[in-house]
Amino acid sequence: MSNKPIDCEQALKQVYEYLDHELGHHDHEAMQQHLSICKSCFSRVEFEQRLKEKVKGLREEEPTDSASDRVKQLLKGF
Amino acid sequence: MGVSKEVFEKQILALLGPLQGVARRLTCNDTEAEDLVAETVTRAWRALDSLESEAAFRSWLFRILNNTFISDLRRAGARPKTESLDCDETDENEAYFSVFEQVHQPFLLWFGNPEQEFLDKLLREDLDRALATLPEHHRIVVILSDLEEFSYAEIATTLDVPIGTVRSRLARARSALQKLLWQQAQDYGLNGAAAADNDATPNAQSGERSTAPSPRKL
Repeated sequence: MSNKPIDCEQALKQVYEYLDHELGHHDHEAMQQHLSICKSCFSRVEFEQRLKEKVKGLREEEPTDSASDRVKQLLKGF
Repeated sequence: MGVSKEVFEKQILALLGPLQGVARRLTCNDTEAEDLVAETVTRAWRALDSLESEAAFRSWLFRILNNTFISDLRRAGARPKTESLDCDETDENEAYFSVFEQVHQPFLLWFGNPEQEFLDKLLREDLDRALATLPEHHRIVVILSDLEEFSYAEIATTLDVPIGTVRSRLARARSALQKLLWQQAQDYGLNGAAAADNDATPNAQSGERSTAPSPRKL
């Protein structure tokens, strides 16, 4: 079953939810269909995706040694 | 319900890096961040019975972190910041802002790709600074969504707000972040010419930014 096409206004309202994987299956597919035919919205999504990845790059994976030692000490006392 | 001490320890140690990272971004201070993490772990241990399942551990722990941060702020008497963290979307009328809409030039394709060029020139410290400048209620949703990759439902649980609030707050936070990045880029653009002339700015000396972003020229 094909999805009801969406226009640019609808697509732009859903950009963040699309990138955050928060759209339902049909809305996600409708968005993908729109992006496959609309260069402007595709460019916008591409921009937001890259910016989101750059922000994600700020994530800190590892604790500092001092924080790690302090928490381990705390856990021993529980 | 809770979980065993063994599971609690395993989960805490697995989440310690992100926990400290989020604490640092909330407090903007390494010492305060360590204190916040220690206080969070202590409170979490005491509240272990309130944990519904091991699967909910992450949002439960970050909720305690966020609540501890808020109560620390209140204790410190930082009233304006506290109010902004609890904010009931007082900035709802703030104009939506998009860098893409500022730089995109659909009819000048031969001129390059200005929005991608903007991103290419965006440095980690630009993002760090802009994120730190956001009010706490905006900063925390960007951190949880974009850095920690929480779902909207997890963010709603962590911040104890409806999922619709997460959606709207995140959109406003990203808009505010882009506005700050845009303002920074404009500042660099203005300063960049001077830096190129006299090579006197810290960035120019260290060579950290070989080309200052100058969106107006893109």
